[in-house]
Amino acid sequence: MIEFRNVTHRFGDVTAIAGLSLTLGDGEFVVLAGANGSGKTTLLGHCNGLLVPDEGRVLVDGHDVADEPVAVRRRVGMVFQHPRDQFVAATVGEDVAFGPANLGHPREEIDRRVERALAAVGMGSRTEEAIEALSGGEQSRVAIAGALAMEPTHLVLDEPFAGLDEPARRSVLARLEELSASGTAILVATHDLRDVLKLADRVVGMSEGAVVLDRAPADGLGDLDGIGVRVPGC
Amino acid sequence: METETEGVDLVEGRVVRQFARAALLAALMGATAIVAIPIAGIPGTLQPLIVFLAGIYLGPYWGATSMGLYLAAGIAGAPVFAGWAAGPGVVVGPTGGFLVTFPVAAFLIGYAIHRGGDLRDPAELSPLYLGGVLLVATAVLYAVGVSWYAWVVGIELGEAALAVAAPLIPGDLVKIVVAVAIARSGRIDTV
Amino acid sequence: MLSYAPGDSIAHRLDPRSKLAVQAGFAAAALAYTTPVALAALTALAAGIAAASEFPLRRTARSLRYPALLLAAGPLVAALTLGPPWFEPSAAVEPALGSYRVLLVLVVSAAYVRTTPVSESRAAIQRTIPGKAGQLLGVGIALVFRFLPVIRGDLRRIQRASAARLGTERGAVERATTVGVLGLERTFRRADRLSLALQARCFSWGPTLPALSLSRRDLPALALAAGLALSALLRGARAVGLL
Repeated sequence: MIEFRNVTHRFGDVTAIAGLSLTLGDGEFVVLAGANGSGKTTLLGHCNGLLVPDEGRVLVDGHDVADEPVAVRRRVGMVFQHPRDQFVAATVGEDVAFGPANLGHPREEIDRRVERALAAVGMGSRTEEAIEALSGGEQSRVAIAGALAMEPTHLVLDEPFAGLDEPARRSVLARLEELSASGTAILVATHDLRDVLKLADRVVGMSEGAVVLDRAPADGLGDLDGIGVRVPGC
Repeated sequence: METETEGVDLVEGRVVRQFARAALLAALMGATAIVAIPIAGIPGTLQPLIVFLAGIYLGPYWGATSMGLYLAAGIAGAPVFAGWAAGPGVVVGPTGGFLVTFPVAAFLIGYAIHRGGDLRDPAELSPLYLGGVLLVATAVLYAVGVSWYAWVVGIELGEAALAVAAPLIPGDLVKIVVAVAIARSGRIDTV
Repeated sequence: MLSYAPGDSIAHRLDPRSKLAVQAGFAAAALAYTTPVALAALTALAAGIAAASEFPLRRTARSLRYPALLLAAGPLVAALTLGPPWFEPSAAVEPALGSYRVLLVLVVSAAYVRTTPVSESRAAIQRTIPGKAGQLLGVGIALVFRFLPVIRGDLRRIQRASAARLGTERGAVERATTVGVLGLERTFRRADRLSLALQARCFSWGPTLPALSLSRRDLPALALAAGLALSALLRGARAVGLL
């Protein structure tokens, strides 16, 4: 469970999020919607302690992100925009092993995790391949595997569909659906709500650093238009 | 306050940021070994320019680290040396003296500009001082590079200078001007 | 370009650390001796190492063009004289031997590159150099290798764009400055994103080290490395009058 308790974060004079409270439950699939500059990325940064609040607290299963970065990062896997800039090795297997190796797991456990994480994103047999030679969609999936290898309970993704063509989008979406079904809580920040709404338990709308909407997609989302998010079918 | 690390000793955020910049600047150094950009008609790579920028933007320690990573990656087999070359032997090859002096030059430049500690904005320095620092660092590069070549081949210093240094000097002087122009542009932030 | 290729040669199966030891030993021996007899022995050894690595001779020769040219310049310059006879071939003999031994080192080095993936070299360095320095070197080597094609692509795009926009009207210095600023901006932007990704994946000072294991196969290689190093030491000791 990730809890935001009255969180404020500023960059210099700019307040990116202001007095925000939000709870993300175990196993939930939540879509975070909002225009560019609405504070989405700042919110995500707090989920595993890459950013810490100026005021308020963020807790992951009771661990404060400001004090216990390791406990938090074990539980919350992050996948950023621009997958090409988050790989740390030239081949698939070596890259995915980075997280579990940092956690100090023995070699056999690392190999097991790499295998499982890659299988979960449909890249099981491709550990030896060069990342640079993969397609955009495959790179996105390897980036997700890099986070999964730490065996988190939450997976947080920032604009995972940006720059992907339709088949790649669908393949990433299908993997997220499977992960969600197997119990991983997922938080996806996006301004592109096509298809992902079908998977979502909740949609959280952000504008100017605050949560302005929080409900199940079935309850209607027509007012998302007002905060600069295109809603399919509206 | 007690920080729970669960036995994992995290690399500090500030260090990670500088380290990532140092590693990617080393990759840029490797990329320029292949992409030749002729300046004023003089063929040559932009490599000395990257050595200058390492000192200017990363400071003495991370600048030297960056150039050290460049060497280590080349020794490990990444094709980062001039003409796509790689391997441990290149470091004792004809240009070995230049290569091993890259980290030293980056350190000297970084130290003369930032004096250790927090990094300053290089745009605030006088272009003359900046140019002077780069000139001295270039002289050090050439001194070691030429001496190594003279020793390993077994010829006199003057002859070695004629063989490996003379053709590069005009291009490297232009690169000093370019480096000063980049530093003065104020478009790159230090960490 | 000569790069790693998978294979089943003797050299492919050695631990990278014993290969690096042979590299160091060979370089030390080659730098210690320039006598024709020693060079003949080193040539035979280099040929043996090349055979044990099964590398493509022609491609290797092509990859050595540039350093070979540089190495040829030395003897040539030494043979030139200011005044008659203008060219003195005998003066080029000693430097030619000096250049030749360096060429041998480069051939042996090519065998290393051909038979050792960067990830193994990285593991060797990370396991040999202790503490934080070893960890930064190991991860740093992997990062340089990973981002090399990415940044090469950036540079090409920047060059193409600046050629299209600025054309040839602007001065060369101005164009190089533009390429430099854009290249550096993009590189640092990528680095800043990478640093977040490294932290999110718990980049730590004490990770589980990549697997490597020395076996009995490595013994001859290690013995060879020790022998070469010893011969270099003997020569050095003699040179300073200890023997």
